Amino acid sequence: MSGGATTSPYLPSAVTIEKITIENEAKDLRTFRLAFCEEADAAAFSHACGQFAILSVAGAGESPIGIASSPLDSGYVEFTVKRYPTGVVTTALHAMEEGDQIGLRGPYGNAFPMRALEGKNIVIVGGGFAFTTLRATIRWILHEQNRARYGNVTVIYGARSPGELLYKDELKGWEARSDIDMFVTVDKGDEGWTGREGFVPTVLQEVAPSADNAVVLVCGPPIMLKFTMPPLLQLGFSPETIITSLERRMTCGLGKCGRCNVGNKYVCKDGPVFTFKEIQALPEGAL
Amino acid sequence: MEKGIIGKSELAKLVEAMAADATCLGPVKDGQDTVLAELGPDTELSFDYANFRLPVKRLFFPQSEVTCVLRDGQLVALPPPDEKTVLFGVRPCDAQALPYLTKIFSDEKYEDPYYLKRRENAVIVSLACHTPCSTCFCTSLGGSPAGRAGCDILAFDLGHELLLEAETEKGKALLAAHEALFAAPTDAQVTAAAEQGAAAEASMAKIETDGITEKADQAFDAPLWEEIAARCVACGVCTYLCPTCHCFGFADEQVGNRTQRVKCQDACMFPLFTLEASGHNPRTTQGQRLRQRIMHKFSYTVKNVGEIFCVGCGRCVLYCPVNIDLREIIEEVRK
Repeated sequence: MSGGATTSPYLPSAVTIEKITIENEAKDLRTFRLAFCEEADAAAFSHACGQFAILSVAGAGESPIGIASSPLDSGYVEFTVKRYPTGVVTTALHAMEEGDQIGLRGPYGNAFPMRALEGKNIVIVGGGFAFTTLRATIRWILHEQNRARYGNVTVIYGARSPGELLYKDELKGWEARSDIDMFVTVDKGDEGWTGREGFVPTVLQEVAPSADNAVVLVCGPPIMLKFTMPPLLQLGFSPETIITSLERRMTCGLGKCGRCNVGNKYVCKDGPVFTFKEIQALPEGAL
Repeated sequence: MEKGIIGKSELAKLVEAMAADATCLGPVKDGQDTVLAELGPDTELSFDYANFRLPVKRLFFPQSEVTCVLRDGQLVALPPPDEKTVLFGVRPCDAQALPYLTKIFSDEKYEDPYYLKRRENAVIVSLACHTPCSTCFCTSLGGSPAGRAGCDILAFDLGHELLLEAETEKGKALLAAHEALFAAPTDAQVTAAAEQGAAAEASMAKIETDGITEKADQAFDAPLWEEIAARCVACGVCTYLCPTCHCFGFADEQVGNRTQRVKCQDACMFPLFTLEASGHNPRTTQGQRLRQRIMHKFSYTVKNVGEIFCVGCGRCVLYCPVNIDLREIIEEVRK
């Protein structure tokens, strides 16, 4: 912990914004590449796919954001942040420039069970800007030291419009590869769009990935998740093999402050990753 | 030293002696209320009170406290206050709540230094109740007017004297340090105290709580939550005055030219508590929020840390502006 007179779980580490990438046409999604100011903080930080961290802008507050970079991306951590007009912290973050200093604490939460998934075919279904931790996971799987550990990798990713797709250059790179099957779709295309049109659940049914020896990692807005579960079950995925990530307002990230409590689980500590089976056991409306 | 008798007229001497290395707080009249306030050599102690309006948790988990300040562009953590305290006159229900809070503010991966340091530095001297209020129901939740859970010393008011019985090493050390001020109790005094405790316990109405966790789980989708919450004004007083409620939030604020981060008590009864920046709110109705509070106390904490997070102090019953009665909710849930 840098500069602190005591070890406080609430004190963020100082990080510098190394790079800001504007991701979408609406310019309300930016990817922040952060590097720790202190070597000890950098050495102490290690995360797994699916975890989140809490970003801190002194004077504005803190916000929990999924980690968008792979655990194997060394030297930096990336977060894609959506700015909401009512979001005090996300608005403050979007006003920052490269070279500015902010705070980070974490990583928090559980992760996608990547070790347990070795040997399996992986289906990744993402919608909107919930694609961030899935992007971390794809980068991790595609890394040369990992790719052979997994079977087929199928990615279905959708956004409202072509301009809203995240990580556009990276998507092109993945589409050019033979070891990953990409199905990128938009709700509605524009004049320049030659790709797929249609909602994620519909495209999922068309692609119809096999459930044999497969798991599906699915992240998206609540409405997409709601309409994605029935076709996944129909395709033969059992609730244990459907893995998703829940979102809730969070403050502490430690399972204490009470905000993200669902049933006796805390999304920040016991999640954010849950199987659909675990979600079915939670009180109604957990998705 | 395990037990000692001290005359009420001698308490000022004890306070003075303890004040040499600790801040002493005790029950003091404040208008119609009795509050737990810092004691000086001339402060008159009050023995005529049911309980403090504010739970003792506030001394460990305050309504707000600064955790970080911005210095040279970087947030630094403030150390927790490191001050020995003696809290005299705590009611057994409030003391019972402290070990519960310790289970929240520390676990295998996390320690809240602000709570834990204060807790470590405090000696809790509970004062057994002889006339519980009509809203008290501690005996329904494993407590007692002479309960010993969470205290370091339990004191009995015997009229002109107090009998102090040490419960922990910390309590024994405090009595031993001031041994000269204490007399050994007679068997009659020890018996009188025990009888007083038993009589107070017997005088209390008991509500049934058997199977409350299973019943609450089964009642999750029942209409009773919205029915009860229909008159709730979401003031949150039940949570702020609750000795076991522990939800919190952080707020960044500017005071003069200082930027600081404040940890504040917060409440699940507020609509904004779970509202996300996107506009999504997983708990949109007051019934859902009231259900959350009850489920959290009677089901979730039982599953997570093995305790019902209610000590039956009755504050939520006494101070609810629209007379929502937790005892009635428990009864409804158990139907």
